[in-house]
Amino acid sequence: MNDTPESAVAAPMAPTFAVRETGTEPDDDRAVGAGPGVLETVNMSVFYGGFKAVADVSMTFAFNEISALIGPSGCGKSTVLRSLNRMNDLIPSARVEGQVKYHGTDIYAADVDSVEIRRRIGMVFQKPNPFPKSIYDNIAWGAKINGFKGSKSDLNDLVEASLRRAALWAEVKDKLSESGLSLSGGQQQRLCIARAIAVQPDVILMDEPCSALDPIATLRIEELMLELKEDYSIIIVTHNMQQAARVSDKTAFYNVELDTKGQRTGYLVEFSPTDELFTSPKEKATEDYITGRFG
Amino acid sequence: MTVTAPPDRERQEYFPSGDDYQHLLHKKSRRGWTVKMMLLLLLATAVLGLVILLYTIVDDSFGLVAVVNQNEPEDILASYGYDPAVTALSDLNKEQLVDVLAGTVSSGVGRRLERDKRFFEDRLVFESQEKWDEICASDEAPTGCDGGVRDKGDVLELVEERVIAPDIVAAEGLTASILNPNGFKDSVEKDFVENPASYGDYSYDQVRYKWRAWFSWKFVTSPASDKPEIAGVRTAVLGSIWLVFITVLFAVPVGVGAAIYLEEFARPTRVNDFIQTNINNLAGVPSIIYGMLGLAILVRLLEPITSGSLFGEGAPNGRTILSAGLTLGLLTLPVVIISSQEAIRAVPNSLRNAGLGLGATKWQTVRSQVLPVAIPGIMTGTILAVARAIGETAPLILVGAASFITVTPNGPFSQFTALPIQIFQWTSFPQEEWRHLAAAASLVLLVLLLTLNAVAVILRNRYSRRLN
Repeated sequence: MNDTPESAVAAPMAPTFAVRETGTEPDDDRAVGAGPGVLETVNMSVFYGGFKAVADVSMTFAFNEISALIGPSGCGKSTVLRSLNRMNDLIPSARVEGQVKYHGTDIYAADVDSVEIRRRIGMVFQKPNPFPKSIYDNIAWGAKINGFKGSKSDLNDLVEASLRRAALWAEVKDKLSESGLSLSGGQQQRLCIARAIAVQPDVILMDEPCSALDPIATLRIEELMLELKEDYSIIIVTHNMQQAARVSDKTAFYNVELDTKGQRTGYLVEFSPTDELFTSPKEKATEDYITGRFG
Repeated sequence: MTVTAPPDRERQEYFPSGDDYQHLLHKKSRRGWTVKMMLLLLLATAVLGLVILLYTIVDDSFGLVAVVNQNEPEDILASYGYDPAVTALSDLNKEQLVDVLAGTVSSGVGRRLERDKRFFEDRLVFESQEKWDEICASDEAPTGCDGGVRDKGDVLELVEERVIAPDIVAAEGLTASILNPNGFKDSVEKDFVENPASYGDYSYDQVRYKWRAWFSWKFVTSPASDKPEIAGVRTAVLGSIWLVFITVLFAVPVGVGAAIYLEEFARPTRVNDFIQTNINNLAGVPSIIYGMLGLAILVRLLEPITSGSLFGEGAPNGRTILSAGLTLGLLTLPVVIISSQEAIRAVPNSLRNAGLGLGATKWQTVRSQVLPVAIPGIMTGTILAVARAIGETAPLILVGAASFITVTPNGPFSQFTALPIQIFQWTSFPQEEWRHLAAAASLVLLVLLLTLNAVAVILRNRYSRRLN
């Protein structure tokens, strides 16, 4: 952990961008499971009041990888995801024990501002939630509130680049001043992705991003995720095992156990490269789940 | 398509069939129809009540009046040598009308009229030139000194008001005036015979009948008076508008601010729960209690501020527009807070998550994403709350609205009266004419309320449209 408030958030920034500049072609060091951790949880447990929702999660998420979190309902996979960028702070009773390290810095340390963390670790939600503003403003607002210093035309460029990156530019370039709510569900979700990448995070968390979309829109988002992987670390929660198998490099399986008082606590069963997890799972519970015996 | 029951289950045992089922179906739909009709009846009752209320007000605002002229126009014309049969007062020229006026009113009244506004550009009628110059040179020069001149219409009005000076002795509502005008005339005649004392020196021969609109533009623009013939509601209307202004200025920023804090920032601690409970209860406190609070705190304790003496203004006491406006502001505050909270709560959480997820602070998210969506709802609640405040009477009586005031209020430190106070005052007078004035003033209040509401609703809708 760092000693001064400045270094807490400033220090990780330099390597972040350096990695992105040079890291478009993954080398051996960043092969699946072996890359340096952008984000790492160390014995993380999440509580809601006195209730332990998730116990002892230790995972490492690498750059240029998509990690999928799967598991039965109530196993805490969304809770884990929301703990990774401190969105759980918004729930007054929520509390995190253990550590979540972002480039080695514990994001729950007292001198770290959650606002900075959420800017670095962006989020895309289950239901598309564009702002009730123009498509342009949906993208530009994030830049403005984060102190965008460029000129008006720089901002236009940023909007265009973000929309292109999210494979939405061709569809909306003639109607940037129309409301984001006028788009279809799949377009809205891509708008939300464009909005997230406009503030230049290096991790994108996706909480069941396709569950409200039809198969074609889902396919487009999945293609987009595979493209974005080159520049970001993506962590996705999904109920759809095929989706996890299609897009992810590593998959984490979560399960839930009932304690004597009937409380459900989620725990990480195994976190392996996706091929391994789906073909030769280490744990019996994983095998039962992926073969459809429960869940 | 035929539906066959699964072989093992006997559906007949549990559900009616055949005629029984038809009977049930009939009963179900009949019950639905009955409930619908009852609800319609309830709505009709509410509408009927409103229609009756409006009818009563409008009915009293127009109608026949029985007047006794102090001077008959015919006599005036005759005294100037005209034939009343061919000439009317309005045929006289301005010089003649001023002569008529000068011949009747006292010199004191005449001088006052002239100081308000001159009759002629080139000469003075009631005042000597030396005295006029002296008055106009003084610090408190009257409005007449700025050179404006009354035209013929103004003078004619003054003649009708001051010389003919009709005294209303009886008045009738609109419906009765149309359907049975003779019944009204007979009853006035009968009353003259039976109670001559109540009519003083007048005899029935002097009574003239004419139509009168109590509710008119002149009524709105005339100051208060002790004569029902010329009394108006200008001071009360301006007082009410000032009160609304102060109320909105106080209640909206404070109320919306408190609502934002409670909804977005306050953690559910015991203190915050206590505050929330109290706000909910305050919304139900009778308005007279707020009046007592206003009297004790604003009028008495904070007199240096509310009378304006701290700022060098000269109200004699704290019974000013500021005190009353703040009292009404306190009264509307709980409703503004509660409705604003509802509006803010109705904004989907997904918008907050989206904003915060981009690295916005809580305030940035609230300001740019939550408030714009909540504002139409906030405005709806505020409009309702302020509409209630405009009609409030009880707290204004306690904080000391003047019952009779002719000076136009010109700032927060003025003494004031308001429309509900004026209506309340007039309904308490025994003479019938005041009842008609009260009805007309009620109509003015309704029109004022509808106008303010319409403006607010238009603003709100324009804003909502821009949002979508």
